[in-house]
Amino acid sequence: MPSASPAEQATRWWRTTAFRITLLHLLLTLLGTAALSGIAWWATTGYALRQLAQEVDSDSGLLVQAARLGGPRSVALSVEARLAADRSGTQYYLLAGTAGERLAGNLASAPETPGWASLRLEAAGEAASAELLALGTPLPGGGFLVVARDVAPVRQLESLLLGAAGWVGGGAALLGLLGGLLMGRGVTRRAAAMDAALARVESGEIGHRLPIRPGGDEFDRLARRINAALDRVQGLMQTLRQVTDDIAHDLRTPLTRLRGRLEAALRAGDDTTWRPATEAALRDCEQLLEIFAALLRIAQVEGGARRAGFAPLDLSALAATVAEVYAPAAEERGQRVEADIPPAIAAFGDRELLTQALANLLENAVKHGREGGRIRLALGTDRVLTVEDDGEGIPPREREAVLRRFHRLDAARSRPGAGLGLALVAAVAELHGARLTLGDAGPGLRVELALPPGPAGP
Amino acid sequence: MKILLVEDDAETAGFIRRGLTEAGHVVDHAADGADGLHLAMQASHDVLVVDRMLPRLDGLALVRALRAAGQRTPVLFLTARTGVGDRVEGLEAGADDYLGKPFAFAELMARLNALARRPPMATEATTLQVADLEMDLLRRTVTRAGRRIDLQPREFRLLEYLMRRAGQVVTRTMLLEGVWDFHFDPKTSVVETHVSRLRAKLGEPPLIHTMRGAGYAIRQPG
Repeated sequence: MPSASPAEQATRWWRTTAFRITLLHLLLTLLGTAALSGIAWWATTGYALRQLAQEVDSDSGLLVQAARLGGPRSVALSVEARLAADRSGTQYYLLAGTAGERLAGNLASAPETPGWASLRLEAAGEAASAELLALGTPLPGGGFLVVARDVAPVRQLESLLLGAAGWVGGGAALLGLLGGLLMGRGVTRRAAAMDAALARVESGEIGHRLPIRPGGDEFDRLARRINAALDRVQGLMQTLRQVTDDIAHDLRTPLTRLRGRLEAALRAGDDTTWRPATEAALRDCEQLLEIFAALLRIAQVEGGARRAGFAPLDLSALAATVAEVYAPAAEERGQRVEADIPPAIAAFGDRELLTQALANLLENAVKHGREGGRIRLALGTDRVLTVEDDGEGIPPREREAVLRRFHRLDAARSRPGAGLGLALVAAVAELHGARLTLGDAGPGLRVELALPPGPAGP
Repeated sequence: MKILLVEDDAETAGFIRRGLTEAGHVVDHAADGADGLHLAMQASHDVLVVDRMLPRLDGLALVRALRAAGQRTPVLFLTARTGVGDRVEGLEAGADDYLGKPFAFAELMARLNALARRPPMATEATTLQVADLEMDLLRRTVTRAGRRIDLQPREFRLLEYLMRRAGQVVTRTMLLEGVWDFHFDPKTSVVETHVSRLRAKLGEPPLIHTMRGAGYAIRQPG
């Protein structure tokens, strides 16, 4: 069963476009959140650390100034005052004398190296140790000063940021997953609907079409295109069926007649009946072959293979020739052919096919026009060929039908002709991208064949 | 006439051969393209009848090879493919005429006669004559027994076509193709009406004769 395999594949969810879209969506969301958080983290903590360093630097500067003005004693007092005012307990100092002894401060010891250093304070009795940012400065007139700050607030900020990033990331991931699922489900549903519709077409419901929403997104465009293709296929199938029916139906009549004639001749079996019977049989054969030739030609033209033979042509000369060819035949029926053809009207197309199409139109006019009447063949500068007769015309509701193969008006059934003339005209018109209109000449039939300018065709 | 027939279908070949022999012609037959080319290269025939689709070497290739070798014997293509493109292709390959299957034997006969008796280009005549009917091709005038007959351009062409083949049978389709460039068969009797008008214009006794079931011929009355 051919429809089983797509259905099977649809059950493997990880193979669906929806799943891939969801996954990609999620991945991109996570990446984006991580990148944003990283940038925020880097910028914020960097800023906080710089602030801390600046504070240490300016504090150290003030104390060095105090040493310069008031000596070590003044510095010691300032340090004590600062420590007494520090409620947060994040400030650390060490003032050492010239021999390295501690004069003031809450740091037990510190390396006497000038410049920035990172210290680890092992506080007695406390479980946690503190990380300090320290600046060592030799004092003017001897001694050494270390100003330090606890970096814990910065670390706290970091962990806060990290926590926030986690929440944001998690939320984004959840939203991404949800969005991806929704989006994916939409895609899956649309695809499934198209799949189901096409499966119905495949199973023989050739008239079934894909659903189209009013929105008109790419799925609708695709569906519309597929529907158009299905319309075309259905049209071609109908044409084919029509031709088959036509052949079966309309060729049966002359074939039956032929067979009857031959049987009758065989039964009679004398020389006087042989000859006329054979001649009549040959005429039947001719008629059959003509029908075949006409059908083949229409099929060939409808197939569009003839467009390769298109070339610039003199429409005026073409129309004049056809008018001239049919003038005597029309006169036999007492009809007058009025040709209204300005010279040198050019067109682009297949000369032979256009000649035959115009000849068919004139033939119809001669055949169906009033005896002793008037036939008009006109060519406009806009490449519109008009053929008018003053016969009974075609009722408006029948005008489309006469363009089909083998269609003949009931009134014409008794007259000769296979009803293929206008079908060929219609096929030639379509091949040329020309507009074919059947109208009323009041009274009579008016046929207009409007050729497009220059090279044309769909 | 000596005619070479290259046709692979035995029944069609037999039917054509019988008809041509009965008409007093000599017929050589080849059943495939390679044999056909071999026989045709001997250049001893007046006209070749070649089927389009042949085993071993198809008709188009046969005619191309023949023409490439400088062989100018007239060729008539016989074919079941009668699309316009097919006809043009056949003529471009070097064939001189083209006849779709199935065909009336009279049609084939008339076309072969026309091909075989076609005058060489060099000896292009400036006047044509049948009995007391004279056509001046340069001055575009027609006289019968010295009396001027006025013809429309297309009537002139029709008469010229017939007079160039005086004494030969010219079929309806040959006239449609040769005079009006119509490569299809109109239902209306356009050829008949044109010919009968021309016949009337030419006066008595009639010079254009209707050959029943075949076509027309212009020749001396009687």
